[in-house]
Amino acid sequence: MAIKKRVPYNAAFVACNGGCRQSKDDPSCNYGCIGCGACIDACKFGAISFNEHGVAEVQEEKCVACGMCAKACPQSIITIHDCANRIVVKCSNQDKGAVARKECEVSCIGCGICEKTCTASAIKVINNCANINETYCLSCGMCAVKCPRGAIYDLKGIYTLAR
Amino acid sequence: MVSFTVNGSVVTPSKNQKLLRFLRDELHITSVKDGCSEGACGACTVMIDGEPCKACVPDTDSLNGKEIITVEGFSDWEKEVYCFAYAEAGAVQCGFCIPGMVICTKALLDKNPDPSDAEIRYALRNNYCRCTGYVKIFAAVRLAAKILKEGTLPKPSSTNWTVGSRVQRLDAKEKVLGTGKYPDDFYFEGMLYGGALRSKYARARVLSIDVSKAKALEGVVAVLTADDIPGENKIGHIKHDQYTLIPVGGLTHYLGDAICLIAAKDMETLEKAKKLIQVDYKVLPAVHSIEEAMAPDAPKVYDEEENNICAYKHISRGNAEDAIKHAKYVISDHFETPWTEHAFLEPECATAYIDEDDDVFIYSTDQSAHQTLHECQLLLGSEKIKVQNALVGGGFGGKEDMTVQHFAALLTYVTRQPVKVKLSRPESLLVHPKRHPFVMDFTMGCDETGIIQGVKAKISSDTGAFASLGGPVLERACTHAAGPYAYENFEIEGTAYYTNNPPAGAFRGFGVTQSCFATESLLNMMAEKVGISPWEIRYRNAIRPGGVLPNGQIVDESTGLVETLEAIKPEYDKALALGKPVGLACAMKNAGVGVGLPDTGRVKLIVQEDEKLHIFTGASCIGQGLGTVLVQMIVTNTDLSADDIVYERSNTWISPNSGTTSGSRQTLVTGEACRRACEQLMEDRNAGKTLKDLIGNVYYAEYLAKTDPLGAKVPNPVSHVAYGYATQMCILDPKTGKVEQMIAAHDVGKAVNPLSCEGQIEGGVVMSMGFALREKYPIDENCMPIQKYGSLGLFRAHEIPEIKAIVIDKPGLSVANGAIGIGEITSIPTAPAIAEAYYKYDGNRRHSLPLEHTPYERKD
Repeated sequence: MAIKKRVPYNAAFVACNGGCRQSKDDPSCNYGCIGCGACIDACKFGAISFNEHGVAEVQEEKCVACGMCAKACPQSIITIHDCANRIVVKCSNQDKGAVARKECEVSCIGCGICEKTCTASAIKVINNCANINETYCLSCGMCAVKCPRGAIYDLKGIYTLAR
Repeated sequence: MVSFTVNGSVVTPSKNQKLLRFLRDELHITSVKDGCSEGACGACTVMIDGEPCKACVPDTDSLNGKEIITVEGFSDWEKEVYCFAYAEAGAVQCGFCIPGMVICTKALLDKNPDPSDAEIRYALRNNYCRCTGYVKIFAAVRLAAKILKEGTLPKPSSTNWTVGSRVQRLDAKEKVLGTGKYPDDFYFEGMLYGGALRSKYARARVLSIDVSKAKALEGVVAVLTADDIPGENKIGHIKHDQYTLIPVGGLTHYLGDAICLIAAKDMETLEKAKKLIQVDYKVLPAVHSIEEAMAPDAPKVYDEEENNICAYKHISRGNAEDAIKHAKYVISDHFETPWTEHAFLEPECATAYIDEDDDVFIYSTDQSAHQTLHECQLLLGSEKIKVQNALVGGGFGGKEDMTVQHFAALLTYVTRQPVKVKLSRPESLLVHPKRHPFVMDFTMGCDETGIIQGVKAKISSDTGAFASLGGPVLERACTHAAGPYAYENFEIEGTAYYTNNPPAGAFRGFGVTQSCFATESLLNMMAEKVGISPWEIRYRNAIRPGGVLPNGQIVDESTGLVETLEAIKPEYDKALALGKPVGLACAMKNAGVGVGLPDTGRVKLIVQEDEKLHIFTGASCIGQGLGTVLVQMIVTNTDLSADDIVYERSNTWISPNSGTTSGSRQTLVTGEACRRACEQLMEDRNAGKTLKDLIGNVYYAEYLAKTDPLGAKVPNPVSHVAYGYATQMCILDPKTGKVEQMIAAHDVGKAVNPLSCEGQIEGGVVMSMGFALREKYPIDENCMPIQKYGSLGLFRAHEIPEIKAIVIDKPGLSVANGAIGIGEITSIPTAPAIAEAYYKYDGNRRHSLPLEHTPYERKD
């Protein structure tokens, strides 16, 4: 296991909550994780595995933020982020709200409540999907608790539960 | 029904609510401070299942089974460690952010007992501190880690409380543990919540107000309009132009003008009631800027005024015009500085009740309890008021005016019930007076060696919706625009304009922060023109003891500008030799009100039944550490030890009025009054009296800091009793363009407590790094300012550079043990020093703040 003792402490992050899992055989969302396993194959540190929803998930303590998974992902939904920013948008759906709502039970519908709520003006809806600018995020979690869709997630599991 | 544990006890909230509200309102755990309720400030940080979390974020319903820890839930050992570490490091100033910081410290050290500096900064990065500049908080975390590892509490590094010692502040413990009370921490049986319905439009005529529906709402106890004010509606610090409530027929001046006051059983009812009040307005065009305010056909902000000019100053000595005409080098330029928000961590709050004497008793967070008393007496038309300062969670000038105190007083007066009035963070951002934006045109003339021949300037400020201290701020901007240099020809004309923007008033530096940016930038340009370094041009022009300032004042032996320049010289030369972009700037700042205005310090030392000497003075400690300063002065000037002395927070019925905490004046002015009272005490002590013998004795002394008014017909008027001097230097990292180091050398006369002095310097520097590089207070076309604390651009813990504070003692001031206040000057030369460093970095002269095209500029 890689030993990390530096700050900021980065890791890969998969922006999909696996909410279209109820129709696993015919996932209607075109933006999320497709469970292809390319990232798992690309990771030399065994830091990525499928979670119970069949979505790739990164174990931060094993990840060294080399970015190989991000390159391998055909959906381009893996990014390297600063782990101190525990609040993340676990969705990449760019469809308009009404469509996105149908496609997934935990999709971002671009409603903008998070944007209005954010004290740091760090979260913006871009292409119908919320996006956190980690340089300005204060990791307060207000967007996560206000998100009507459960698309924003606290990686520490305090403000939100796993969906 | 959910339940979770708080500090080991299982609790069940009565209803779903934010955790912060539950902890404070139901459990009365008041270490958890409400600084913004929007997830920004971090003052409400608690541990949830071991993770630091802001309590204003989660709903209690989401916390079933979780374990919550606040500072109250620490073990006794942990409490001792954190109290010691934070006090010893000098990490505590106003204290409002501290319990949150302590929680972050524990959360870090529980998991990582030996953190690196970068990890410490990262652990604190989501919590704001506006006082300390974070430097000493980092030191506190390091020290706490060391003590926890070693398992024994060390001895304090200084136990000698004489002037000049780095003793631990006397209020550190109550602030670390959260036992010290700010006004919001008072809860009374049957307490009502008060608030204001504010104007919907920045400038409109109020045609009618219908409060009947609001009054009928269950839980609403009172709805007041201007007609219900028993005394004067219009109050104010100097000029009484601040309407408490806008009457029917009256004009609104900004979006913060209150139309009605409401007292209700809880906050929800209060908010509902606001929505039920029907106000009809005739909307009128608003005045948005200085330019609009000065236009010949400008709408008038005040019905009562002839035009929009709030204040005008013209100061002239020598013949600037002629001196500039004959100067070898002349530079003229235009400079602008922005609005700045104080962003103190504690929003304005006052809690009032009717006391046993049938007086309206107000717990206030303000910069002068006596000022609050005076203005509330005007408003109520009654003498029967008492004001007690609670802890003050930062002021920086922003708590000099009435914002909530008069509302709480009026609502309590009418309802006869305890009332708490607290501003929400967006209200606070709108309501209290800000730092004035200035536009400035300066011309400077120098001879071939860089000696200043004369300076001529014209400046204008936007003082917003009411005067507040707009006149004095303008005056100080003008008087100090000349800079700390020895030359004779100086002329300046200044005008402060009313607009329909939020009000502007006092803010650390009091106008000098603005005019210094212009003067010092100009001097840096001049150095280049003359062909000498910015250091050299300052050294050549620097005011020296016995020299004459452009205002005519002959400066005394304590004048230490040259020493501050010399102090930074080695580092300056070193950075230059390494090819680093370096900028520097100097400043002077008065300590004391000066210019002939009444400026009296008053102190009563009373020996009470506990055989201790209690200090009573009507001088607010707003976080700077006045109590510690006074105890150190008493220990120095008597034979008592610190254990014999008790500092009492300012009140209005025992403590004599010692003036507002403003103008960096308390250490000097109240300090000297205290020293004089010590002389009286010592007469009794020298006669062999013990404290027991002296029980009931009162030693009262005052000190008038006597000065001459502006334009006094004397050859060398004394404008101020003392000035502090400073040189600050900014070094940029040539690769990243970020600030690598700030070095700040300050002449303080005599540093009463060098640890506190450094804390003031570090905090002032970081505050003005924000002013220079990032902070914004945008106001939209409806005159509505920014409403989010987290978007102000304040510097965060992980972003600050290395800050080196150099405290220089220079004797020569004959009063207050030689101590000169340092509160404001720490923030003054920072911006021009940084601007110069960026010029050296990229060759681009910047004439406005925040500086453009730096890595600190927000991009999104």
